[in-house]
Amino acid sequence: MANQETQLLDQIITTSRRKMLSLGVSSLAGLAVGGIALQAKAATAAYSDADILNFALNLEYLEANFYYMAAFGTTIDKANSASTAAAAPLISLSGTVGTAGTVSGGSQVPFSTIPVASYAIETAVEEGKHVQLLLTALGSSAVAQPAINIGTAFQTLATAALIPGGSAFSPYASDGTFLVGAYVFEDVGVTAYHGAASLLTTPANLVTAAGILAVEAYHAGLIRTTINYLDPTGATIAGYTNLISTLRATLSQAGLLGVAPSPYDANPDDFGLATFSVSLGSGSSTTATRITDADATNVVAFARNTTQVLNIVTGGGAVSGTAAVSPAVGVFFPAGLNAGPNGFK
Amino acid sequence: MTNLSTLIKSGVSRRNFLAGAGASAGAIAALGIAGCGNNNSTKTTPPATVTDADILNFALNLEYLEASFYLYAATGAGLDAADTTAGSASTYQTVGTVTVGDAAAVSGLTAAQQQILNEIAFEEQAHVRFLRSALGTAAIPMPDIDLSFFGPLAVAATITTAPTGAGSFNPFSSFDYFLVGAFIFEDVGVTAYSGAAPLISTAGVASGYLTAAAGILAVEAYHAGYIRTSLTGRAIAAGSASAYPYLAAANLVANLRATLTVGASAAPSTSGSVETMLTLPTSITSASAIVAASSTDAVGFSRTVDQVLHVVYGSPTVGASKGGFFPSGINSPLATTTA
Repeated sequence: MANQETQLLDQIITTSRRKMLSLGVSSLAGLAVGGIALQAKAATAAYSDADILNFALNLEYLEANFYYMAAFGTTIDKANSASTAAAAPLISLSGTVGTAGTVSGGSQVPFSTIPVASYAIETAVEEGKHVQLLLTALGSSAVAQPAINIGTAFQTLATAALIPGGSAFSPYASDGTFLVGAYVFEDVGVTAYHGAASLLTTPANLVTAAGILAVEAYHAGLIRTTINYLDPTGATIAGYTNLISTLRATLSQAGLLGVAPSPYDANPDDFGLATFSVSLGSGSSTTATRITDADATNVVAFARNTTQVLNIVTGGGAVSGTAAVSPAVGVFFPAGLNAGPNGFK
Repeated sequence: MTNLSTLIKSGVSRRNFLAGAGASAGAIAALGIAGCGNNNSTKTTPPATVTDADILNFALNLEYLEASFYLYAATGAGLDAADTTAGSASTYQTVGTVTVGDAAAVSGLTAAQQQILNEIAFEEQAHVRFLRSALGTAAIPMPDIDLSFFGPLAVAATITTAPTGAGSFNPFSSFDYFLVGAFIFEDVGVTAYSGAAPLISTAGVASGYLTAAAGILAVEAYHAGYIRTSLTGRAIAAGSASAYPYLAAANLVANLRATLTVGASAAPSTSGSVETMLTLPTSITSASAIVAASSTDAVGFSRTVDQVLHVVYGSPTVGASKGGFFPSGINSPLATTTA
């Protein structure tokens, strides 16, 4: 393990910077092959792999602390009997770049069913390992854990999503609300790693990012599947997924304000667990349930650029009805994300 | 203006993605899978360079298989003929046939289960169409597909002893058997895309192929998450491993996949470590094992082309070029395993 991580670190340090996909809209248009719009993401600045991995690290800090709190009742840097029993990594907050903050809010979920509890524990451990992996890989380039709000932020978001009783919503109240809280993050993680994949320059980093992308999508599939089992008709928590997806799509679109529009940014780019009509083989239409968050034509998962992701996790410009603000501050990141001198905020 | 056909013809920035996968396999015992077709042991020299089209077509072979399986499971019929034809510029022009075996619409589904099957079938069908459309005239036709291979595969996995008929494994006979059948494919689909993603050329990355592959990878992982969550959740509901034998059956499939690839390719699977066994959580303080990923850093696995082929051919033999689900091999210059 040390070997692999040392190697990864060396590759990150020595990697030559590559300009992020800088094709303009006109040249991108030529890539529409046979009516298929391949999802290339346009961006203009040059970033290193370390910048991109640090962006991911901010998101992993958020996810890991949420799951640790829900599953164990503690943050990632403080062990307790529950986290120790689950062999969850105790994270040494070794990142120093940027401003270190504290984690506020959250409490252990009083789980009542084995499936949801066991999934929470598994996911917490896996997200903790992602934090550990990125911290080790980035070494002295790693960003500090920023201020993170995993308490009232959920109420802000639930209210904005128009979830009934949103101002009192807590993902720590029950198995069902925990799943809704988890739902907020997982699809976003998928789209963030997906959007970043083509920006990485070192093959080993790409393999790692693809591997983490897969894990986030496993989590997202797991969350959606469980919500579907618990609420097959969409009367409660499955219905909330549609509200959250609609809000995420709105925030994501707001993340595109002020930049050149691309025909490859789907709108909306998020779907909850609603049913939809499909045509199978040479047969007639039938009904399907969305276990996958992907575009309905090609069924390729959505990709988001960093501004879109920032806008979602900070509540971005859409909440105030304006374009994305910089630096992005709010909701889950009350003091914004930490980034290197050339990184994403 | 770049488009895929000119990119394919240009052959620029191609990477040899078989490099590094040349570890000697040594002597590997044949599995002796009854009735799974002959493994052609003629070793051919792999192409020196692999194009982005080769990579996308490799994926298309797998999507033809997955789509056929799920469409039969959901509807009792396979891909529309129009979705199986050969592109005019493809080296391969013969459209294959599906050996149906027991394939039929899965019976006894609840409405919710049927809607999920419909979804997965639709999505794999969409992947076939997406790849075919992206490849244009370079698209391969559907190869021969054998959906009766589930029986012999289950025997090889020691799930049962009867390859056909009474007592045989039939993934179309119930929802639980379907989950085990789907389990065979989904983690493999995830890892195949993960293994292929870094092989796409620089020009291909600029053209959006990498992000398209990453997006399909994610969808396969959503599916795998569904399958593994369902198996785990239904085992928990049943109360014990003995009351829900399908969980153990899925793990036997994972064991078989590992057996088929261990030592047959270079890292990372030399110890069979690209599998995560399902567990049965027994209390609210035990963890599940839904995600298939490294236990060290929770990064998802990847499989090389050869590792994927060993699984779908049902053969650990280096030099195997057909067998299992693909009785005539896949339509690809990569069809013969080299490690």
